[in-house]
Amino acid sequence: MKIKNSIAGLLAILATGFAANVTADINVGVTLSATGPAASLGIPEKNTVALLPTTIAGQKINYIVLDDASDTTTAVKNTRKLIAEDKVDVIIGSTITPNSLAMIDVVAEAEVPMIAMAASSRIIAPMDAKRAWVYKTPQNDAQMAMAIVEHMAGNKVKTVAYIGFADAYGEGWWNEFSKAAEAQNIKIVGNERFNRSDTSVTGQVLKILSAKPDAVLVGGAGTPAALPQKALKEKGYKGVMYQTHGVANADFLRVCGKDCEGTFLPAGPVLVAVQLPDSNPVKKEALDYVNKYEAAQGKGSVSTFGAHAWDAGTLLANAIPQALKKAQPGTPEFRKALRDSLEDTKELTAAHGVFNMSPQDHLGFDQRSRVMVQIVDGNWLLVK
Amino acid sequence: MDLQIALLLGQDGITNGAIYALLALALVLVFAVTRVIFIPQGEFVAFGALTLAGLQAGRLPGTIWLLLALGTAIALVEGSRALRDRNFRRLPMILLVNCGVPLLLAGTLFALSPASLPLPVQVLLALMLVVPLGPMIYRLAYQPIAEASVLALLIVSVAVHVTLIGLGLLFFGAEGSRTLSFTDISFELGDILVQGQTLLVVVASLMLIVALYFFFERTIYGKALRATAMNRTGARLMGISGSLAGMLSFTLAAAIGALSGILISPITTIYYDSGFLIGLKGFVGAIIGGLASYPVAAAGAILVGLLESFSSFWASAFKEVIVFTSIIPVLVWRSLKTRHVEEE
Amino acid sequence: MKRSPQPTILVLLFVAALLLAPLFLPAFYVTLLNYIGLYAIVALGLVLLTGVGGLTSFGQAAFVGLGAYTSAYLTTVHGVSPWLTLPAGLLVTGLVALSLGMVTLRLSGHFLPLGTIAWGIALYYLFGNLAALGGHTGISGIPPLQFFDIELRSGREFFYLIWAVLLVIILATRNLLDSREGRAIRALKGGTLMAEAMGVNTPRSKIVIFTVAALYASISGWLYAHLQRFVNPTPFSLTQGIEYLFMAVVGGVSHVWGAILGAGLITVLKQWLQDWLPTLLGKSGNFEMIVFGLLMIFVLHRARDGVWPFVQRLFPQRRPGACPIKAQALPRRPLPETDSVVLEVKDASKRFGGLVANDRMSFRVRAGEVMALIGPNGAGKSTMFDGISGVDPLTSGAVSFCGQRIEALPARDIARRGMSRTFQHVRLLPAMSVLENVAIGTHLRGRKSFVAAACRMDRDEEARLLQEAAAQIARCGLYEQMHEPAGSLPLGKQRIVEIARALAADPCLLLLDEPAAGLRYLEKQALGELLRRLRSEGIAILLVEHDMDFVMGLADRVVVMEFGRKLAAGLPEEIQRNPAVVEAYLGGVE
Repeated sequence: MKIKNSIAGLLAILATGFAANVTADINVGVTLSATGPAASLGIPEKNTVALLPTTIAGQKINYIVLDDASDTTTAVKNTRKLIAEDKVDVIIGSTITPNSLAMIDVVAEAEVPMIAMAASSRIIAPMDAKRAWVYKTPQNDAQMAMAIVEHMAGNKVKTVAYIGFADAYGEGWWNEFSKAAEAQNIKIVGNERFNRSDTSVTGQVLKILSAKPDAVLVGGAGTPAALPQKALKEKGYKGVMYQTHGVANADFLRVCGKDCEGTFLPAGPVLVAVQLPDSNPVKKEALDYVNKYEAAQGKGSVSTFGAHAWDAGTLLANAIPQALKKAQPGTPEFRKALRDSLEDTKELTAAHGVFNMSPQDHLGFDQRSRVMVQIVDGNWLLVK
Repeated sequence: MDLQIALLLGQDGITNGAIYALLALALVLVFAVTRVIFIPQGEFVAFGALTLAGLQAGRLPGTIWLLLALGTAIALVEGSRALRDRNFRRLPMILLVNCGVPLLLAGTLFALSPASLPLPVQVLLALMLVVPLGPMIYRLAYQPIAEASVLALLIVSVAVHVTLIGLGLLFFGAEGSRTLSFTDISFELGDILVQGQTLLVVVASLMLIVALYFFFERTIYGKALRATAMNRTGARLMGISGSLAGMLSFTLAAAIGALSGILISPITTIYYDSGFLIGLKGFVGAIIGGLASYPVAAAGAILVGLLESFSSFWASAFKEVIVFTSIIPVLVWRSLKTRHVEEE
Repeated sequence: MKRSPQPTILVLLFVAALLLAPLFLPAFYVTLLNYIGLYAIVALGLVLLTGVGGLTSFGQAAFVGLGAYTSAYLTTVHGVSPWLTLPAGLLVTGLVALSLGMVTLRLSGHFLPLGTIAWGIALYYLFGNLAALGGHTGISGIPPLQFFDIELRSGREFFYLIWAVLLVIILATRNLLDSREGRAIRALKGGTLMAEAMGVNTPRSKIVIFTVAALYASISGWLYAHLQRFVNPTPFSLTQGIEYLFMAVVGGVSHVWGAILGAGLITVLKQWLQDWLPTLLGKSGNFEMIVFGLLMIFVLHRARDGVWPFVQRLFPQRRPGACPIKAQALPRRPLPETDSVVLEVKDASKRFGGLVANDRMSFRVRAGEVMALIGPNGAGKSTMFDGISGVDPLTSGAVSFCGQRIEALPARDIARRGMSRTFQHVRLLPAMSVLENVAIGTHLRGRKSFVAAACRMDRDEEARLLQEAAAQIARCGLYEQMHEPAGSLPLGKQRIVEIARALAADPCLLLLDEPAAGLRYLEKQALGELLRRLRSEGIAILLVEHDMDFVMGLADRVVVMEFGRKLAAGLPEEIQRNPAVVEAYLGGVE
């Protein structure tokens, strides 16, 4: 039986190997920031791509993964290469907002659908002829910012200070958060910036402290976001601390340690998959992803960023069978069909939420895509 | 801004400035002795801190592989030269120093579990892993073209920097680390709370500067370095080998860099690429000193620390712009002060 | 700068290949060629700056950013036509480069690159923090370029624009280098002393090439903005600035074509490494940076001139013509009347700290005479020369030249008045031909600008300058060696080249520092003959020389120096009999 299976498997491999030259497989191009400043976001995404399904609806899927080193020029170059050389049917990427924005023109011109893994809503809005080809899987910054602001309002926070990265991430968060806070009548009393590699944020922290805010939001990703929080604690700040979902990885907990106890952050449900109530539709998908990722990369290695790549795979797995009915992979018709069927995605459960796309909304996430999480005893705890 | 804030900012500026000052001194030293503008100085800060963090986390730091690789490369270069000269008796020594010692160190790391060792031993191990990289890099990258122009040496420096950054990402990953505190003491000084660790940075920097002073004034190697810095040809005629002086200055620079990293890593998170900006700020200090005067360079570096601290309070988004454009008035002042001299 | 002209046919073939490339090459190769073109434009600026002028910048990416951001901002916010934003970008970049250049270029070598690192970082953060420029996120929706009714949207269409611009820039750069101002720029690399003594305004030359390199970068930025149609700060960071320098150095920083080669090699290598390294090593990391770093170190160790010289060897070299084309002779300066005082030095002193190199020296030189300045080694003769010619001004005292005080003037203004000199340690540009070296001497006798040179509107004047240089070479007996690299000549002949260069300036006073050193007997005779002829034409000659037979046979009058002071002065016969002089010379031997 075993032998028979393995022979069958071998034949299948041979068959697909030969088939690759004969009938067209579906080629999925991926460009992500596995190196450079956004590496801590890009690496889990890259690891996740290796876990994506290799056949969908009986069709073999080839993933061509390129690194754009967090650089826009390289992201665009990669996109052009994937389209021209690898004749991809769809592109997943990139990790960060500037790169994804820069890719829009290229994919729209070549009429290749693209699924971005970056947060800013500018990638898919305002909807126009170019952005018709662009989808994204991460929650909009606005949604996450709203979650924080609602939580603040619920906890009687009246004044808040913001300190964020001096890059697109910190800037995007500031824009969304300041808007959301204003809408809820929360007064912003400080707006500071720091660099990923700064060794000291004393100046910014003192400025914030002198404004005496009820709460402070740190707009950073990964371990660098720990620095302002540690500095605030060291200077005796007693108010409520908020972080963004960018910090949701194990390294952050390691570096921040006890100074981050009690911190609140919004996150995709995948971060606390186990703690979700069984009634939550996302739980099963999220757990499935977490288990697969940790089986490959080790316990406690999962971060929410990888799940954006996973969700891109989920979207494709749902849309490709529809598109295959209309056209052959490798053709402009297929790409058009794929774009259309991505837009038709309805009630699709993924690791970060439930997708309901429309011609106007190429993200399609609702309230189910985010939860508030608190750091308790060095772990992520779902805030009920 | 009240007095207390000003004091706190001053304290922060001096702490960072002390580190910049150490780096500025190392930069001036390396430049004076070898004419190398040592851009990779900052990488030693990051490598020192992250190697120590790795040891404390019980991981085998990637630096050991670099040490082994560089040792092997030097052994190959030196060995092939010894073979060409038919100088077979040198071979065992070459192998022992360049391959044997790193292997011994690697063996030690495997045998002991570094995470459980006392802190001073960990620091010592980290220094032993990082400091030899300095002279090794000098031997491989700079010594073969020691007579080239300052410009060519500068481009090599940038190349070394780029290589080390790439290796840093490989060894330590994208996320940062902190090391354990040397001391948890803190005390009130007037109105402000002073952390023991912060004070340690300043005190240790001062002690290092004093130690360097004695090294240059009192020891034969220190005097040899000073002689080389003043007149390279003259020193060579007096029997001070240029490559020895180069090795020595790079060892000092690497040690200063690694120590700086170890000093600040308990109070801040260090990343594989942190060193570059830290080193560049040391450079701004060194440039204020005209890459020649040690005291002015140190003072300049403290000034950079204070400028950074205060500008991060007033306009944090423009902090880097302010710090790096501050170099321009300095350059203007220098250009007005110095008469045009022919560069040979 | 080695500038062996390539046979035109090869260049034409290259252009033809470029014209056809987009028609046959797969789309992605065209994309790559586009990027290579963009990078090569910037690298070409670095060739001019680093390879030719000996200055280095790590901050070119910031200038690319200025060009790109100016266009992006004006087209998206104010709806300006992209064709108008090009000059706007050039203006902004030019102004920034000029002001930065004025600040940093006056300093000695290594401060400039360090300065460029600093403002490279500062400008990067400035782009990211200005809300009007889209902050760190960037500006999207930049309109494509329109050429009449054709929108340059695809890579293939853009290809022709990029490479046409690049070829024009290459042509202009080559023209510029092959001109009077170009020689002045190339003279910078040999140190500014000689260039200044030949009348070159070296700070101006430096600022000009610095600005030109920045403008090239700005053009590349403009093209980039409209090719990419999106800008954000990352492509203009210091990392990219370093990469531009790598391209120039790997390709061959002293060669115009090296810029294209380097841009091509690095771009293709990067692509190749990106494809293969992760597969080979099975891990993600910044491997290409490691490889690039090591590659750079290797290139600087083993082939400091980059890869281009190796490529160049594959092509046949065109033999330069025997003599420049005939042209109208240059006007000569009216020489002062014979026996009138040309140079008067009075109480001239020069101190280096506590050391007195010249102590209240006084003497006169008249038109149509050879005056020799002799003395033991270290007597301060060359220092006296440097003081007179303005290369290293005196501490006190007065120098009058043709009746006007000159001790406070810079060397180039003194040269303009008709004083020309040679150096004790030969200061030639070894890679340039004898003709080109001598032509540097004619610098002040032409006046066509950089722009005229780049557009080849200087050919008439250029022919006259070259003819003058060739005439002086022939006069000094080096006609046969005219097209050889100056560095290939024996040292004695190189001194003669220096004399020819000084003569090319059409001087009325010639300062010769040990012209006969290293010459053989017959050559010395020929030199003596030449100097006598110059004297008879009415030129005044001040000479430092150790060869007593040569001096005594030639000089009309002799001044003897010892320990910076005038020991004796008089006719050669008197000096030979002067006991103090004999003591000084023989005493030095014992």
